Amino acid sequence: MSVDAEVQQFLRKRRPAHQARGQQIAWAGVTLALLAAILYLGSQKNFGPLQYAQLVLDGLRGGTIYALIALGFVTVFNVTGIINFAQGGFVMLGAMLAVTINDWGALAQWSPGPRLAAAVLAAVLATTLIGVLVERLTIYPARNAEPLTLIIITVGVYIVMQGVALIVWGTDAYSLPAFTTLAMRDRTFRLGTVIVKAQSFWIWGVTGVTMAVLYYFFEHTMWGRALRACSVNRLAARLMGIRPDRMSMLAFGLAAAMGAIGGIVLAPATRPVYDMGLSLGLKGFVAAIMGGLVNPPAAVVGGILLGIIENVGAGVTRAGIKDIFSFIILIWVLLFRPQGLFGRQQTVEKV
Amino acid sequence: MKRTRLFWLVALLAVLALALSACAQGQQGAQPAPAQEEQPAEQAAEQPAQEAAEPPAAEEAAPAQEPGATVYKIGVVVAITGPGSGLGVPERNTAAMIAAQLEEQGGVTGPDGVVHPVEVIILDSESNPDTAAAAASRLINEEQVDVLVAGTLSGNSLAMVPLATEAGVPMISMASAQSIIVDPDTGETREWIFKTPQTNEHSARWQAEYLQNLGITQVCHLYENSGYGQDTLNQATQVFGEFGIEIVYSDTFERKDTEFPQVVSVQGAGCEAVVVGAIPPGASMVTAAIKDAMPDMLVIHGHGVCNKQFIDLAPDAVEGTVLPCGKLLVAEQLPEEDPQKPVLLQYIQDYTAFTDGEPVSTFGGHAWDAMMWSVEALASLEEGMDLAARRAAVRDYIENSIQDWPGISGIFTITPEDHLGLDYKALVMTRIQDGWYTYYGPELWE
Repeated sequence: MSVDAEVQQFLRKRRPAHQARGQQIAWAGVTLALLAAILYLGSQKNFGPLQYAQLVLDGLRGGTIYALIALGFVTVFNVTGIINFAQGGFVMLGAMLAVTINDWGALAQWSPGPRLAAAVLAAVLATTLIGVLVERLTIYPARNAEPLTLIIITVGVYIVMQGVALIVWGTDAYSLPAFTTLAMRDRTFRLGTVIVKAQSFWIWGVTGVTMAVLYYFFEHTMWGRALRACSVNRLAARLMGIRPDRMSMLAFGLAAAMGAIGGIVLAPATRPVYDMGLSLGLKGFVAAIMGGLVNPPAAVVGGILLGIIENVGAGVTRAGIKDIFSFIILIWVLLFRPQGLFGRQQTVEKV
Repeated sequence: MKRTRLFWLVALLAVLALALSACAQGQQGAQPAPAQEEQPAEQAAEQPAQEAAEPPAAEEAAPAQEPGATVYKIGVVVAITGPGSGLGVPERNTAAMIAAQLEEQGGVTGPDGVVHPVEVIILDSESNPDTAAAAASRLINEEQVDVLVAGTLSGNSLAMVPLATEAGVPMISMASAQSIIVDPDTGETREWIFKTPQTNEHSARWQAEYLQNLGITQVCHLYENSGYGQDTLNQATQVFGEFGIEIVYSDTFERKDTEFPQVVSVQGAGCEAVVVGAIPPGASMVTAAIKDAMPDMLVIHGHGVCNKQFIDLAPDAVEGTVLPCGKLLVAEQLPEEDPQKPVLLQYIQDYTAFTDGEPVSTFGGHAWDAMMWSVEALASLEEGMDLAARRAAVRDYIENSIQDWPGISGIFTITPEDHLGLDYKALVMTRIQDGWYTYYGPELWE
């Protein structure tokens, strides 16, 4: 148990019991009120259980992508203290590169399955490389600057990425075949009126595997431990012979890979365009903030929650105000729970 | 230190640009468009350059058979680059094609038999209203054009409207918004401004007729969160009301949406058809989402999706979709007696020949109408008029003499009150069958 955890536990003991209970009651009250509001608004639109199930499932799919993007934010923030706003750019690049490689004339005689697999792998690798290059060429030279300067640099990097993508791919939307059918049309599973696309299972599966691999990497490999050491204490890590600037490069590479994976698994369910990164990146950022920005599992939960809240909220009200939900959450969390929604349970959830 | 940083930044840009352009190279195999498209661009770009090199000598240097005849100038401002380039490039190609035809003919022949060379000056608005306004002002003041064919996008066109009005230059826009030709504050038709594309009101009327034919009285309306989308809802609300069709649920969606909770609401709303007001890719994605959830639901679109990309992005889902489109897409299938048919077929032949096989688009058609009005108006001028008189005469000609005029976008009858001059029959109903638009006029409805 870390020192940090002990302090937290100590603080918890110090908090008067009645205050904690009061807070719990307030929480329960707010949650119940929100649920009642959702049910009332839904009843106005003749929603039954199947409709809610559909909204939650769709939200879960979007939320999983947000979670993957949020993990990229958390990884970079933990190691470097930077919020990397170029994260959305990696998502876009992953999707666009996969489409381009898959449509590449030189691979035309390959059968669709291996070609798609090769395109996905190559796109993830290429995006990872771009992530590493971004760190080397823009963050590393300015490594002694204030974090705010570095954050502004990442905003600039995103704008450059989007601008280059506009020149290369134009404003057209592209399409990547669904992973199951290897065609534009995906297989759908039905339960009453509730439908789930096969691609949704790919999104959940790939995200799950990615998280498992990350967990193994951080817990059981030398490099992963070095990364974690850096996030706990940069100076001490340095004294132990870990080079923080190398770790920063590694973190950017990892974040880029996660962004690219998110963009690629999402691509068949949507139609990638050059400017898709901005809104996805912002949603991923909100998810990371919900998780307190330092805690990977909390960021995942944050992403999934955000996706569901957003989709159910938009469903029972107006879809036109969808984005309002995520930004209300962002402001609320920043004002009232800057440690994240699950800040107190950090010791339990920390991997 | 600073210098190294700069070096790295430049290096990054270079590497990114190189890597990505390499990828783009691979893509050109799949889309044979861009390389060929550049050709007319260069031609077009050369024209103003030549002009700028010898501006006062232009009249003497005119290659006309009759020395001394005034050189007429048509100024064209289109979005060759930027987000509107998908629309602006066919417009640019069409303008360049007509310029080449005029050059071949030596120009236009006036009523007095004098042949006037016509110079077409094409400038890029970069899809940006400020650039468009600067280009228009250069064409009006420095190039002293007789007529402006200007504005791919509504916003760009609106930016040029005050310039043309103030200078007294007739301007023909190729953008959709009604506010380009009618001042929304006063409701008055703008004296100097005309436009060629059909409006959302025309689309809505066809949709209403089709829905009425099927006996449908309750529809849902989903529209893209954009000026175009909002206008489709406004027009649909008004026109559907006349037909006794009620919009029981309407909501917006974003161009890049991945989830469509709107579809769940459609299920609960109990409508018999969904009318969509959007352009691709959003239009394709929302159709796919509706068809996934409700395979039997009737989906009707507007004329914003009359292009190949709409089908390409969701070929299975959009199959069977019914929508009004300009006649250009279904020219071969039109009845023989349609007065537009020969015009359309000729344009398709000329355009594909000029661009080495580029497919025609309705946007190029809007440019053809605008260019041909200008050419016809210029041909009506007597020799010896000064610039202001010529501009006024061109305006008067378009307003009074474009009557029952078969063009690409419809049969135009311009009046002082109506500077578009089309009714809803300018569009035809089509249905997407086997991955392409098929003519689906009322005589084919069951």
